[in-house]
Amino acid sequence: MSEPILELRNATIQFGGLVAVDNVSFEIQKGELFGLIGPNGAGKTTCFNMVTGVYKPTGGDIIFKGQRINGIPPFKVAKLGIARTFQNIRLFGALSVLENVVIGGFLRNRTNIFSSLGYMPGAIKETERLRENAMALLEVMDLADEAHGRSSDLPYGKQRRLEIARAMATQPDLLLLDEPAAGMNPQESEDLMNTVRKLRDDFGKTVLLIEHDMKFVMNLCERMVVLDHGEEIARGVPAEIRNHPEVIKAYLGEAC
Amino acid sequence: MKFWAIRVGSILLAVLVSYGIGMVAQGSSGTVSRLIALAGLYVTLAVSLNLINGITGQFSIGHAAFYQVGSYTAAFLASQLLARGTINNLGTPIPWVLAAVGIAIVTSGIAGFLIGLPSLRLRGDYLAIVTLGFGEILRIIIQNTPQLGGSYGINSPKAFVVPYVWMLAFLCIGACRNLLQTAHGLSFLSVREDEVASGAMGVNVTRVKVAAFVLGSAFAGAAGALLTFNEGFINVNSFTMDVSFIILTMVVLGGTGSITGSIIAALALFTLPEFLRDAPPMPLNAVLGTLAGVALLVGTIRLALDQKKLGRDFLTPKTYMGFGIAAVGGVIVSILANFLPALANRTIPSAELRMVIFSAVLVIMMLLRPQGIFGHREFGLGSIFKRAQA
Repeated sequence: MSEPILELRNATIQFGGLVAVDNVSFEIQKGELFGLIGPNGAGKTTCFNMVTGVYKPTGGDIIFKGQRINGIPPFKVAKLGIARTFQNIRLFGALSVLENVVIGGFLRNRTNIFSSLGYMPGAIKETERLRENAMALLEVMDLADEAHGRSSDLPYGKQRRLEIARAMATQPDLLLLDEPAAGMNPQESEDLMNTVRKLRDDFGKTVLLIEHDMKFVMNLCERMVVLDHGEEIARGVPAEIRNHPEVIKAYLGEAC
Repeated sequence: MKFWAIRVGSILLAVLVSYGIGMVAQGSSGTVSRLIALAGLYVTLAVSLNLINGITGQFSIGHAAFYQVGSYTAAFLASQLLARGTINNLGTPIPWVLAAVGIAIVTSGIAGFLIGLPSLRLRGDYLAIVTLGFGEILRIIIQNTPQLGGSYGINSPKAFVVPYVWMLAFLCIGACRNLLQTAHGLSFLSVREDEVASGAMGVNVTRVKVAAFVLGSAFAGAAGALLTFNEGFINVNSFTMDVSFIILTMVVLGGTGSITGSIIAALALFTLPEFLRDAPPMPLNAVLGTLAGVALLVGTIRLALDQKKLGRDFLTPKTYMGFGIAAVGGVIVSILANFLPALANRTIPSAELRMVIFSAVLVIMMLLRPQGIFGHREFGLGSIFKRAQA
């Protein structure tokens, strides 16, 4: 097997006395659709925050494309090629839908600030290029009609899609989606599933996603890891997870 | 080709308008000429603070400090040149003025960098306290440094700088406008909107904040240097907390983030006290009565607006009753005030009303239109200020 795109080696993070993520290890291969699931408070989002540099792991390593990225600040992680969405949507609300996506592409910007202050041809061209890329992404995510509206005016489901579009604009190798289907109706989550597949199949992205909607995860992900209380309790393909006694216990409680 | 035509044309236009304003100033009395210069300086100050507060979303309330750094840099240089006999008391030649402005930009930019650094860790109120504290500390240090004139101040030969003041104002407006037209400007806005998301999208939040502080302070410093040559004399009283608050009021009133809003609010708030200066003194009880009446009126409108938000009528009998109470309440307060020996038959000079009006306007804005007059929007002027991506 080739070198994994992302690898967690005994990743641990401790907040005071609370061990939020305890010795979690898994590998994601390039082009995989990988699921990270578990009940509330299991440490899934904390895992994301460790990978994206929001938190520094207190133990273990996070390896991305062969490089150790523990404690690297978020903007550098983004430049290396990891983009994410947020569980509680964090769009740039006052800005337009298009502007949100342009900002996503800004990290590949090559002009300096003085050329922008002087409105030099270089800066204009660069902005135009980012704008065209952003527009193309909005087409893919089916948001082109809303491009010039305020992003906070979008309906919930579209805001989630816009977050994915914004993350895609950073041209990542690995896309982290934090509960992308939360609050969506069955039709919307069906559409989203197709979109995520398209991101992998047509754009070659590797996707790591957190999700509560079991139907969504089981249909979409090829492999998954189940966390509970910060520890791994199971891993495998959907069929294995569905009938895993530990998983059933974690989700439904002891009595079942 | 068209691009360069517009580019050169707009720069020429700005220069011509600046010289035009300069000619008007030259033709009018010394007082008016001074006011024309100060108006331009306040536009620069408001627009540059808007870059820090409105566009990047950092709550800095010590802008006068950077104004002061620039002003004292220029004054110190001029006094040194005067001591060496390079320039004489009759006036500072323009090349020396521009050189001093250049150096003031550097020193105030450095000051902005130093104050920008804590802003990486501090947010909101805490940053406000640091910037406010910096301004006060700086003022008091200068007040106690004899080499910088202490509390007396520094004399520097005057120069006729009105055209340069307005060129600076146009430069500052142009730079902010250009920034927002490009993807760079969007990264500044994204820091205001959501720092965490901004970082996750690869925006170097630290760098953006420091850049905003350095740029904003550099413009304020250049304005300070021009102030020195316009006045011919400066002391620490020109850079008190009041000045910072007035600049802040201009930005908040204009709508944080709106360049045109800042310009219009700066001109309006700068002109207002000048009109008040010549007005006769006002009876204190009338002022108190008016304030009470306005307070009740604003309260009524706010309540009515909340009703409207709930889908009910704005002008209900209750609203009219509120208006009535506001009018009667104002009259009652002014009558009652006359019964209190401490307040009866007192007047206050109209010029002193400035601060009362400023604070009243701020409170009213917070209650009725927290986003400022223009909100995040830009005012008219075709598509000059409209963001390309919006």
